[in-house]
Amino acid sequence: MAKRSRLNGATAVIEMKGFDNQAFLAAIVESSDDAIYGKTLEGNILSWNHGAERMYGYSAAEILGRPVSFLVPPTKPDEVPQILERLKRGERVEHFETARVRKDGEVIDVSLNVSPIRDASGKIIGASTTARDITEQKKMREALTQRAKEILDVSTPVLQVWEGVVVAPFIGTLDTQRAQQFMERLLDKIVETNSSVALLDVTGVPTVDTRTAQHLIETITSVRLMGAQAVLTGVRPAIAQTLAHLGINLADVVTRSSLAAGLRVALDVLHLKISSQDGEA
Amino acid sequence: MSDLTRGNVPIKSENDIVAARRVVRDLATRLCFGVTDVTRVITAASELARNVFLYTGAGVMRWCTIDRAGAVGLELTFEDHGAGIPDIELAMKPGYTTSRGLGLGLPGAKRLMDEMEIHSEVGKGTTVTVRKWLRK
Amino acid sequence: MTNQNISVVKVRDTLMVTMPADPDDMTVTTFQEEVLRAMEKYRPKGLVLDISVVETLDSFFARTITETSRMVALMGGQTVIAGMRPSVAITATQLGLTLGGTLTALTVDRALDLLTHPHPRRQRR
Repeated sequence: MAKRSRLNGATAVIEMKGFDNQAFLAAIVESSDDAIYGKTLEGNILSWNHGAERMYGYSAAEILGRPVSFLVPPTKPDEVPQILERLKRGERVEHFETARVRKDGEVIDVSLNVSPIRDASGKIIGASTTARDITEQKKMREALTQRAKEILDVSTPVLQVWEGVVVAPFIGTLDTQRAQQFMERLLDKIVETNSSVALLDVTGVPTVDTRTAQHLIETITSVRLMGAQAVLTGVRPAIAQTLAHLGINLADVVTRSSLAAGLRVALDVLHLKISSQDGEA
Repeated sequence: MSDLTRGNVPIKSENDIVAARRVVRDLATRLCFGVTDVTRVITAASELARNVFLYTGAGVMRWCTIDRAGAVGLELTFEDHGAGIPDIELAMKPGYTTSRGLGLGLPGAKRLMDEMEIHSEVGKGTTVTVRKWLRK
Repeated sequence: MTNQNISVVKVRDTLMVTMPADPDDMTVTTFQEEVLRAMEKYRPKGLVLDISVVETLDSFFARTITETSRMVALMGGQTVIAGMRPSVAITATQLGLTLGGTLTALTVDRALDLLTHPHPRRQRR
């Protein structure tokens, strides 16, 4: 009795006697919480489901026939043309995160899936968009990222251990963005505490890859460029070897195998400053 | 209220280099880039604008705000109709210079920005496009 | 363009120059000329270049600083660059600017100390 067939080339439907497939599919669209709307290749809205009415605040009567750019924030003038271009080439746009404007002016974050609609001959005649409101999701994601950042900040503090000495413990697995923030924090702390010496401690770095080595060198160079001294501490033979293999020249960088030894160097530097000033009295 | 989406700065004199810097500072600040990123973008723009002026005497810096998958950024394009760069790979080597400069402009700008594209034709001119995205 | 005056001030036996936030090329060139003129006139033991309000240090500015530092050395003086901002230090590092090995100090105070109480550098390895 039931036989499978394809409707419009995409959705597989079981055909049942006396059953109206078109009406069934239409009901699925209508009962969806997501906004589903169809548009012409010029971007004019042809269909508008209940979910779209709720998400965007426009009734079908108000929006049918209008260009979809109605819903787009003015800061994104090229977005709809670009999407339509891709559709005309038969491409789909999936999980495209962007922003849209409701009737009441509120800006919401949405995730869009846009697919071309073809007629029986396969020619593209329009597009179908499914939009999901991800405002809450995005807020949660951002809150989590912020928390992670805070935790990371706490676990990579730049500490002032003595008057004029700061210690920055490196943890090896920093991505480029965190590495940049770390460098900024260290330099800001040096300025804030008017420190003469910064101890860059790599005791907690399991392995030094090219990116970490690059980050280390940039940090040391920046510290010295500003006028403070950089001491690399916690350098175990294995790390020294890796750095040498990576072509890093540590000849003019003061290094020590332990943080304690590095501190002694720092205090020497500070005593030198104090005694030379006294000497000139 | 000026258009925040696009604009251009002609580069015809030494004064235009600092004009380009000021425009870029204004844009980067308004887009809420962090202090260091603002400095990076301004410095890259200064180097590339200087290249245009030094090597060709006249060109333009075009700028526009860009959008990609929810991220916002700034795009700068430096165009000139000068002699062109015969060997782009060589030009990207730090220290290589055919003028009194330091030879850091192109490779430096590449390091300071997130993306860089160079199109050059000998005898026709050069276009250098750089982009920086706002970090989340 | 705004006319940015460069004033070279004599403090104890050193010259002090404060650079504005975003000096144009002419200002940078004037800085070099004024420094040379003052070196000639006063023959001081050094120059402190205060860049604490400078927001952008590009290759032209950096090259001029390096050249000026060399000229000052030729005239028997020592140059110290003071007050480089973190954002400028990071950007300069990533751009590959070295300032020719010129001495740097965190603050103008320390720069003056460096010039008036030079302490011997002990190389420890």
